Amino acid sequence: MHHLRDKTAIVGVGATEQGRLPGSTPLTLAVEAFKRAIDDAGLKKDQIDGLMTMAGTTSPEGPLNYLRVGEALGIDPRFTGTFNMGGGTAGALLQQAALAVNAGMANYVACVFGDAAATGGYRFDKAAGWGDSWGIWGFMAAAGNSAITASRHMALYGTTSRQLGEIAVTCRYHASMNPNAIMRTPITIEDHQASRWIVEPLHLLDCCLISDGGVCVIVTTPERAKDLKQPLVLLAGMGQAYTTRNMDNEDWWYVPHQRLAVNDAYAMAGVGPKDIDVAQLYDNFTSSVLLWFEHGGFCKVGESGSFVEGGRIRLGGELPINTAGGNLSESYMEGWLHIVEGVRQMRGECGVRQVAGAEVCLVTGRGRELNCANANILRKG
Amino acid sequence: MTMDYVKPLPNLNDSNRPFWSAARNERLCMQRCKSCLHVRFPISHVCPRCLSYEFEWHDLSGRGVIYSYIVYHQVYNQAFKADVPYNVALIQLDEGPRMYSNIVGVANDVPKVGDAVEVAFERITPDIALPRFKLVGSQP
Repeated sequence: MHHLRDKTAIVGVGATEQGRLPGSTPLTLAVEAFKRAIDDAGLKKDQIDGLMTMAGTTSPEGPLNYLRVGEALGIDPRFTGTFNMGGGTAGALLQQAALAVNAGMANYVACVFGDAAATGGYRFDKAAGWGDSWGIWGFMAAAGNSAITASRHMALYGTTSRQLGEIAVTCRYHASMNPNAIMRTPITIEDHQASRWIVEPLHLLDCCLISDGGVCVIVTTPERAKDLKQPLVLLAGMGQAYTTRNMDNEDWWYVPHQRLAVNDAYAMAGVGPKDIDVAQLYDNFTSSVLLWFEHGGFCKVGESGSFVEGGRIRLGGELPINTAGGNLSESYMEGWLHIVEGVRQMRGECGVRQVAGAEVCLVTGRGRELNCANANILRKG
Repeated sequence: MTMDYVKPLPNLNDSNRPFWSAARNERLCMQRCKSCLHVRFPISHVCPRCLSYEFEWHDLSGRGVIYSYIVYHQVYNQAFKADVPYNVALIQLDEGPRMYSNIVGVANDVPKVGDAVEVAFERITPDIALPRFKLVGSQP
C-alpha cells in the first residue's frame, strides 16, 4: 500500500461570495477565503505554519504572491510558495501541502487563491505560444486550445456539439441547486445550440465563466484532524503529469498526461473508475470534460460523447460530475471550488445536491495550454 | 500589401530571421538538428530531442494535412475585428513539425480535418510574407 494513502486530511474549506464583486481585489478575496477556511476547520490563524498560494490573473505581484498574502495574513510560514499552473494549480498545491505535512515541514498548510478576473478585466485572450507568437495567424485565447481539441475529437470520433451541450446543461442543472453558484437558471440543449459561436466548434455555453472570488483549503495530518471541527475527509490518492511540449508532442491535443495523473492517483488510493461515486472534473470548456472520462477510464477512447448522454453524469446517474456547477456554472475559480465541493460531498453536507452515500470523489485539474494535469482522490474518513 | 497592417507581426531577430527570409522567398524553412535530424518548430536554439545545439535551416516540402481546424467568431484582438469569422488550422507538416496557420482560398466551412494542404505565401508587409495553406488542388 502506498505509504501516503489516507495520510492527509482536508480539514477546512472556505469560499467567498462569487461573481462580479466591485471593490474586491485578489488580496481581499484571498484573505476572506482564508478567514472562512480557518473558521470552518476550527483553527486559529497562528496555527497555520504552511502557506501555498496561486496568484490571481489580476494579482500584480505575480509569483511573489506568497509574500503579499502572508504579509496581509500576518503569517511567518515554515513552508510556502506560489505555483503558476493555471487550472492545474489548485490540485498541485493541495498535493504539495500533503507532502509538507507528512514530511513534518508544516503542521497546518493553507492553500489560498483570490482573483478579480471579472471586475479586473482579465480576458484570458493572450496569444498562444512563445517567441513568434501564434497570434500572427490569429491563434489566441484559452478557447483556441480547447477548440482545437474539440474539433479533432469530433473529426476522429464523431463527437457532436449536442453532446458537449449535455455537459453544459448538466453543470447548470447542478448549479441550480447551489445557492452560491453564479449561474443558476437551468438551460436546455437547444439553449446551448442557439448560443453564439466563440471559437467554432465551441459555443458561448461551452465556455466557463470569468469570475471574482477567493478560495482556501487547509490540510493537516489525520491525527491532528481528529481534534478539529469537521467530519474527516482524507486524501487517498494523488497524481500529477505534465507536458511542457505543445507542437512537438504527438498527442498534445488529446492531453495524454491526464491519464497518467489519474492512474497515479488511482494506484495510490487503491481504487479504479468503478469506485468513484462522484467526480469534480476540470471544465474550463465542455470539451475538456470529455477527455477526463476517457483518461479516467470511465469509457473507452473516443466514446466520451455518447457516455455523457442519457443522464449518466447527472445527480442520480451513474457518475454525477461537478455537483456544484463547476467552472461552467458555479464560478471560474480555476478548479479551486472543485476541491471544495469534493470535500463537502465527502462530508455529506451538500443538501439537495448531495450524492447519497458518496464515499470516494475524484477531483481533477488542468491548466496552461493543456500542459498541466493532476488528480486527487478524496475519501470519506 | 499594406502599410497599415495592425495585426501581430514577428519580431525579427537573429534566431527567427532565416525563417522569415525564406518565407519572403516563398520557401518554408525550419531548423533540422545536425545530430539527430529532428526537424523542429517553433524555433529553438537547442534540439528538444537530443539537446544538440547544432542545426541547419532545411527547406520543407510545404505539404501536410489539416490536423485540427477551428473558426474564430469572438474578437479577442481588435486587429482581427474585420476578419471574423476567420479560420485557424493546426497543420501537420509532412516532415513532422506542426504549426498553426490559416486555410485560404475557400469558405470557412469547406476545410476538414485530414484534408491535404500545401503552403501559400501571402505578403503582408514589405518584409514579411506569411505562410498560409491552401487545399491541395484549390486556387488560393
